Amino acid sequence: MSEGAAPAPVLTVTALRAYYQTRLFGIDRDVRAVDNVTLHVNANEIYGLAGESSCGKTTLIKTIAGAIRPPLKVQGGSVEFNFHGRRVSLYDKNAPDLADIRWRHLSYIMQGSMSVLNPLRRVRNSFVDFAFRHIHKPMAEFLDTVRAHLLRLHLQPEVLDAYPHELSGGMRQRVAIALATVCRPEFIIADEPTTALDVIVQKGVLTMIREVQREIGSSLIFVTHDMAVHANLCDRLGVMYAGRLVEEGPTAEILREPRHPYTAHLIASLPRIGDVAPKKALEGTPPSLADPPLGCRFHPRCPLAMDICKRENPQMEWVGPVHRVACFAAQPGKRQ
Amino acid sequence: MWQVLRDLLRYNREFAVGVFLLSFVILIAALSFLAPHSPLDSYVVPPDLPPGWPYVLGTNSRGQDVFWQLTCAIRNTLLFGFAVALISRVLSLVIGLIAGYAGGWVDRALMSVNDTFIVIPLFPILVLFYFVMRDRMSWMTLALAMAFLGWSYDARLIRSVALSLRAREFTETSIFSGMSMRQILIQEHLPYVLPIVFSTTMNNINWSIGLEVTLSVLGFTDINTPTIGVMIYWANQHTALVAGIWWWIFFPVALVVVTFIGLFLLAVSMNEYIDPRSRLGRVGA
Repeated sequence: MSEGAAPAPVLTVTALRAYYQTRLFGIDRDVRAVDNVTLHVNANEIYGLAGESSCGKTTLIKTIAGAIRPPLKVQGGSVEFNFHGRRVSLYDKNAPDLADIRWRHLSYIMQGSMSVLNPLRRVRNSFVDFAFRHIHKPMAEFLDTVRAHLLRLHLQPEVLDAYPHELSGGMRQRVAIALATVCRPEFIIADEPTTALDVIVQKGVLTMIREVQREIGSSLIFVTHDMAVHANLCDRLGVMYAGRLVEEGPTAEILREPRHPYTAHLIASLPRIGDVAPKKALEGTPPSLADPPLGCRFHPRCPLAMDICKRENPQMEWVGPVHRVACFAAQPGKRQ
Repeated sequence: MWQVLRDLLRYNREFAVGVFLLSFVILIAALSFLAPHSPLDSYVVPPDLPPGWPYVLGTNSRGQDVFWQLTCAIRNTLLFGFAVALISRVLSLVIGLIAGYAGGWVDRALMSVNDTFIVIPLFPILVLFYFVMRDRMSWMTLALAMAFLGWSYDARLIRSVALSLRAREFTETSIFSGMSMRQILIQEHLPYVLPIVFSTTMNNINWSIGLEVTLSVLGFTDINTPTIGVMIYWANQHTALVAGIWWWIFFPVALVVVTFIGLFLLAVSMNEYIDPRSRLGRVGA
């Protein structure tokens, strides 16, 4: 966790476990969507979270944001924020009131954020509804702040008077980002904010997210299954598989030299200029999180699977100064 | 809002006719404030005169002017319909929105009450209510009773919309931004269900007026407050049709039919505004 003399990370997640628990018709089911995840996000950093669909990315994000609703339950571990020295631990006994952290310090760009805006309310009202209470300024001054912020995202202040359906998809996306960043939060969670956009708009939006993040100096967790977006945007990358973090390190290093066979496959799926060979799909599907395989959860699909992988669960181990991986094949001294 | 109304008037024939009919009825009701006699006084004019001058709609066997009697009756009937609709709308909005938003045991509890109200037979209950209340029965108690019996269908309808709103991202974002349940329901969800409520309000007014007329004709209400139903009741008591005093029954029935048609046309034409495709396409609001 520690990086020597580096400043304290903004977000520290320790051994976090969050399960979907259902008790239906006498059958207990635990879906282990987040299992023993430990990670941290530094100040002023964009942390990418990658992995295929249903690997627990969104659940992890919800748990970090404190947006837990049944049947999702946090089983253990801690989520701790450090907002300029103000420590906030989400799943403590004396957990703070989330209402005064959210939006002001911690904001969330939702999955499908194009529909974050209420279709029957003008954009101005959405800003007032969501952000006004957190800014503590008179209304006129608040609206000036909003207009200035919209300009920063290359939006005309006139969009405030529009209904969401009068805006294009890209504009709505930018409005959603403006909503999430207008309070200049220290920590932003972005859950697939560009998924529904075409690549050109996507690039513009990504650039904008980066600009805003640099300007207000916040940290960002960016979730997407799209490795190309990660390569473009993120400082560090965490790869999830079946509810567990399997590899984490600087984006460039992971892209250049993936240690985990799953990461290697994700990256191999990226198209490269000049590459004409057909892409090979990884056989099989991700395991059911209600009944995950014993040992390493990737072993049924892993080309490097060994005996130990079927019995023991590999732990995250350092393979570089800031590079961790959970794979027996990649960890020296663990081979059998 | 005004622009929407103007466009509906201009482009929607049903809406225009409905507005015209209803304005006519409301005008008649407003004239009741100019009535020369109290509607409860009898034998103030010569009885049993056919329509003519100066008694335009004739006079009845109790020595009352049918026209002025009618203005008072339609006023009370309309007020009754609006009161029932208003109270039951508030009930169904509150219950529907809360049940849809809160979900879980709140939803189950509210909806089990709701479903009970849907299945109980209304008419026998209202007749029973009359026999329990007897002399204490008044215009207002009947309105209250019917409002408490008439909210359940719409509460279900509103709940179903609220359920879908609950799962939208803007609701999630509202929760995340720290809005309270009351704020979310009033600011975010209410605008969504209001157009639906407008439409069902018309139906509800129709329903309550119809039921009130039925009960009055049978004498199961406070027969000393003139309403359309009470007028028909007294006409029947004096065997008006047998005696050939047809104007005593014809005009109240005709006026209430006009009211029904007006409200029905409004409810139907509201759909054009409620349906987002036609609304966005034509009105643009």
